[in-house]
Amino acid sequence: MWNLLEYAAWVLSALFGVLMVADLIRIDMTYDSELLISSREGEIEATAERHEL
Amino acid sequence: MEDFTSTAAGTDRIRLARVLGPSHVWALGVGIVLVGEYMGWNFSVGKGGMIAGLMACWVAGLLYTCVAMIDSEVTSTVAAAGGQYAQAKHIVGPLMAFNVGLFLVMAYTMLEAANAITVGFLLDTVAGMQGQAGLNQQPFIVLSIMFLAWLNYRGVLATLTFNLVITAIAFIAIIALFVSVQFGASAVPLDFSAITSDPLPYGWVGIIASLHFGLWYYLGIEGTCQAAEEVRSPARSLPYGTMAGIMTLLIAATMTWYICSGLMPWEYLGQAGTPLFDAARVTGNTGLMVLLFVGTAFATLASANGCINDASRAWFSMSRDRYLPSWFGAVHPVYRTPYRAIVFLVPIALIFALGAPLDQVVTFSILSGLLGYTFMTFNMVMFRNKWPLGKIKRGYVHPFHPLPTIVLLVLCSTAYLAVFLGYGTQLSAMMCFYIVASLWFHFRRYKFVRRGDQFTMPWPKPEGY
Amino acid sequence: MAYEPPKQSFAGQIFDVITLLVLTIGALYIPLYLGLAGAAKVPNPIANPTWEALGQNATEQQQWAALGVTDAAAANDMITARFDYSFSWSALIVMAVLVIGYFVMVVRLSDREYREVIEERFGTKRR
Repeated sequence: MWNLLEYAAWVLSALFGVLMVADLIRIDMTYDSELLISSREGEIEATAERHEL
Repeated sequence: MEDFTSTAAGTDRIRLARVLGPSHVWALGVGIVLVGEYMGWNFSVGKGGMIAGLMACWVAGLLYTCVAMIDSEVTSTVAAAGGQYAQAKHIVGPLMAFNVGLFLVMAYTMLEAANAITVGFLLDTVAGMQGQAGLNQQPFIVLSIMFLAWLNYRGVLATLTFNLVITAIAFIAIIALFVSVQFGASAVPLDFSAITSDPLPYGWVGIIASLHFGLWYYLGIEGTCQAAEEVRSPARSLPYGTMAGIMTLLIAATMTWYICSGLMPWEYLGQAGTPLFDAARVTGNTGLMVLLFVGTAFATLASANGCINDASRAWFSMSRDRYLPSWFGAVHPVYRTPYRAIVFLVPIALIFALGAPLDQVVTFSILSGLLGYTFMTFNMVMFRNKWPLGKIKRGYVHPFHPLPTIVLLVLCSTAYLAVFLGYGTQLSAMMCFYIVASLWFHFRRYKFVRRGDQFTMPWPKPEGY
Repeated sequence: MAYEPPKQSFAGQIFDVITLLVLTIGALYIPLYLGLAGAAKVPNPIANPTWEALGQNATEQQQWAALGVTDAAAANDMITARFDYSFSWSALIVMAVLVIGYFVMVVRLSDREYREVIEERFGTKRR
């Protein structure tokens, strides 16, 4: 039983790995790279909370 | 498109999804840490004996209460993904921020590796009890990391809701064990005679030495800050979730010490791989054994899950500022997660999980954490000096400043000494690593960083500059 | 005048990541390979081990049995193993200098960089 579980674990690991990498490649080809890295720190602050008294 | 926010300049931007509430913050903080009750803390008993183990538990508890108070104040004000990294960037300076970012990535990636190793070890123990000796642990180690990385990749809300459920179950398992042993469910009685017959096998130095692994009861509670950019109301949720987390852990840690020390000879406890599960085995009660097996498995998975979340946020934030290649600073347009950072850190975690022994990985993680706590002390003082109370709005102001800072500094120094006793070589190797990395950053990497853009908080100019 | 950083090529980005990786893995594995890592407990097994000689009372013997150790000889190594906490003061001083020196260096260099950041962010032009 444990031997089967070992194989199952290998297969599932590979599956999750492939899913992630495939999606990563697909997203990188679909979207503009400048858009993907457009997130900036502190935008919450600017819109939601002003830290001034 | 709904997924994007338009800025004043009219360009589309993607940012992390703001979907979390205080319970998710609790789940992230406690989820990362609770595994410390299921494994690792008991090495403190091995390093100093039973009493030293309890003292380490409470002294470390005090240290982390200070950490939680300080962190709540700073992070409720500097609410950005990357947590302490963003704090350091705004309060101390870029090189410190780079180092803090590395502390975070190292501490969490190593902890993630340690968790995966424990999953493998636990399954090996169970397989052994069923008569299958010598299980190949590798596929299970790889699977736990892969599955959790995939979960993280798919979105933060599902990830942390999952964490909330499994962390709650693991916490309830500890309470259930405590209560049922109190009501006599154990075939073997509790025995604390070693406290009187062999109180301090190493003398007083053992108490200091045991503090090294005493940190393990709570290590990672400060990870709540990493969620700042994904929490709906950071100024309220972060202090609330963090404080609730540290209280949960203080209760769980004391119960764990009591049960394990009572049910196992300290010589065994000091080297056990999964102490709470072993305690359940000693009771001879199958129900408890199954419950604590589930608890151990869930606690390790919750921890690894939170670690992937936190390490990737830190890596992502550093890349966004170009401290690291900007390629990693990308947000997934559909799932709204830092997907490149998540994928990149998977093989790193695997290298450590498959290649290094558990206590080394744990020590590396503890040391990175400890350096981070040392940073918090002077960070707090500088924060109050550069922006005194009343100059900017703080979500939470911690009481008795600067007492928690002083206590924290004293305890950190003691903890360095504790690590030095027995793991001095790692400490030196680690310091050399951070020194070399700092020089590399200052003289090579920093030239790619935009200076003024790093300061993103809408605060007035700091005093004294 | 705002500082305009150079644009980094893709190859340069990869090179930087590899540098950092080599550093990290080196820090963990070099002590391991040199055999310098870790505090191993040293067992001091006693001759003719019995549970009584090993200082285990009746309840503790029950506990060992529940953990699957029924023979005192099998627990001999585990019970008698102890850490060695003797250390040299010079090593302690070297460590203290490393840790303190590291923090002093980082804070000082950070402050120099921080002044630039503040100047650019809050320079006379903006406020």
